[in-house]
Amino acid sequence: MTEQVATLGESASLKRTRRTRTLEQQQRLWGWIFLSPWLIGFLVFTLFPMAASLYLSFTDFTIGQPPNWVGFKNWENLFKDPVTYNSLRVTFRFAIIMLPVAILVPLGLASLLNSKYLAGKRVFRALFYMPYIIPAISGIFIWQSFLNGQTGLLNRLLRLAGIADPPDWLFSPTWIHPAMVLIGLWGVGNAMLTMLAGMQGVPTEYYEAATVDGAGPLMRFRHITLPMISPVILYNLVLTVIGLMQYFVVPWVLSNTTRSNPETNFINLHLYREGFQFFHMGYASALAWFLFIIGLILTLIVLYSSRRWVYYSSGE
Amino acid sequence: MLGALPGAAQERVKITWFVGLGTGTNEQQIEVQNRIVEEFNASQDKIELVINIAASNQTAPDILSTLIASGDAPDIVGPVGFSGSNAFAGQWLDLAPLIEATGYDLGQFPENLVESYRSLDGEQLLGLPFAVFPGVLYYNVGLFDEAGLNYPPTEAGVPYVMPDGTEVPWDYNTVVEIGKILTVDANGYDATMPEFDPTKTIQFGFIHQWDTLRSDFHTFGANYVVDEEGKVHIWDNWREAARWLWEAVWVHHIHPSDSWISSDLLLGNAFNSGNVAMARSMLWYTCCLADAPAWDLAVQPAYNGTIYAPIDMDTFRIHKDTKHPEEAFTVLTYLLGDAALDLLTVYGGYPARPELQDAAIQAKAETYPSVQNWDVVARSIQYAPVPHHEEWYPNFNKGQTRFQDFLTLLRSDGGADIDLEAELDRLEADLQAIVDEVQ
Repeated sequence: MTEQVATLGESASLKRTRRTRTLEQQQRLWGWIFLSPWLIGFLVFTLFPMAASLYLSFTDFTIGQPPNWVGFKNWENLFKDPVTYNSLRVTFRFAIIMLPVAILVPLGLASLLNSKYLAGKRVFRALFYMPYIIPAISGIFIWQSFLNGQTGLLNRLLRLAGIADPPDWLFSPTWIHPAMVLIGLWGVGNAMLTMLAGMQGVPTEYYEAATVDGAGPLMRFRHITLPMISPVILYNLVLTVIGLMQYFVVPWVLSNTTRSNPETNFINLHLYREGFQFFHMGYASALAWFLFIIGLILTLIVLYSSRRWVYYSSGE
Repeated sequence: MLGALPGAAQERVKITWFVGLGTGTNEQQIEVQNRIVEEFNASQDKIELVINIAASNQTAPDILSTLIASGDAPDIVGPVGFSGSNAFAGQWLDLAPLIEATGYDLGQFPENLVESYRSLDGEQLLGLPFAVFPGVLYYNVGLFDEAGLNYPPTEAGVPYVMPDGTEVPWDYNTVVEIGKILTVDANGYDATMPEFDPTKTIQFGFIHQWDTLRSDFHTFGANYVVDEEGKVHIWDNWREAARWLWEAVWVHHIHPSDSWISSDLLLGNAFNSGNVAMARSMLWYTCCLADAPAWDLAVQPAYNGTIYAPIDMDTFRIHKDTKHPEEAFTVLTYLLGDAALDLLTVYGGYPARPELQDAAIQAKAETYPSVQNWDVVARSIQYAPVPHHEEWYPNFNKGQTRFQDFLTLLRSDGGADIDLEAELDRLEADLQAIVDEVQ
């Protein structure tokens, strides 16, 4: 009898295990099924092209011709090509101007919009965000007209303000980057919104306690707001760094009219021209990987440095 | 029995026609091209023609290169000029064997136009003449009348008559002289007067309209960029052409800078704006003069007594990887033959076949009743400089970009302060490096 009970018990246990395994397997299967569209997309449209471009970077591939293996020739040329150095210089020069602006301006705007003394917050929020949803190409054409050296609205205003010879923003090597920063400022709405959301998530008790302790608005911003939204700042910083390495649409549209301006030849535009205008696909592939490596290193530096300045209230 | 099945229609050989490298992407052109495809298909039981029109000629090269790279190259590409074809050098089928096999009559085209489609070694015929766009001078009749100036001549060797009755050669020096009278500022001063303020210009005397640097160079005489030994040359006459243009922009102020060209005054289509008195361009520019005030045609100015009027030529090419060369050639001859006049009319081209030329001009005359001097078009073909201003050289696409960079540098805001000779030397050195990359 005891043996029978034991046998029945083992049998039930086995069945349970089998059913459990089946359920796990089923869950796993459904998991893979639900993941598969993304996985297939990733494999076909990201991983395979990346692997192919790595291979092509060691070939002399050009459109319509079969690729021939050339070893490290494209990579050697990359380090000899003065255009590559210049386009990197242009990209970093612009990044040095744009990066602080892309973080500080939305931070400032978010702080203003978070102020309890500001009336019409919703209207301002919508107004600041609105340019972000305008297609980039349309926006750039509008800016081109606004910044035109002869008849642009900005220079007309500057002339009215007494500046007799205002800069030709888009054609001047000195002023093209400030002009691009102006264009870039139009799109800070998204960063502003994430920072505003971060600020609104800071518990009010912290501010109340700090106020009781005698902290002024600046002190509260410095010691409460900034640390509390530092993860959001990090998020925006990483996106901006990657975005700057991929900066393309604005210089590409502008370079149709300002092509000789060497300050519009960003590294990504150099890559595009080599690949799709000059059909040096092998060399362009090497440039793409070079750019990927630089972007990766910069992102890792930012992430590494974040240990020192990002505060996670709920731990990492 | 099988022939009666619906599937039998699918046995027709499919020939794809890619449009967009040159003209052919505007609404009116699309309509005519689609109609021509329909008419061709209705007349056929062996070939099905399928048209693929790019959104614009800016995106077309990317689309075509993607199609070629993916092994799905179109059978026929065009209309496409020399530059667009050279961008895809090595991709075009030699037509000579097909011409020989079918007995296609080359005698219907002027021989020099046929020869211009031969490969550099002369062994392959990579295209057939279709449309030519002679280089002409467009002038704004009203602005000349307003300034009390005589119109430019319509024949080579005829002098220009200045307002005081003196006769001067019709050359680029004269263009500067009358260009200054035709360049006016907001205060009513023209560029001959010391009070003229170039920052307040409201009317310019002259423009190289939608030009390329190489076409500008060739107005002062043609030559090869790269000689037989692989050496790049910016020839002396080209340096003079660059000097003339630079002075026209920055010294005489008769030619708008790039900043002016894209301004609200000229709106990117300078002559059409009505604020430019003369424009050197090709015949294809008739595409874009719908809003222009009354204008007419003259011959281009001479350099050292000779007129060099760069010409553009468009045709249709067959891709070398076509699986159906005979059928593609049948379509090609249809586009160059029965469909030619409709296509040429809508493309704004002048027919390479002399028998179609009168009809083409008649169509243009109906569109632009202000134009009296259509005879300039036929005459200007003989002023076309040889070699062509879009002649191929190694690493063509990269080199052409460098040429255009120089043109933008010369005409952009900082252009006034450049050391022109030093920049020309730098252009030559850069081009040599570009050519050497692939030598």
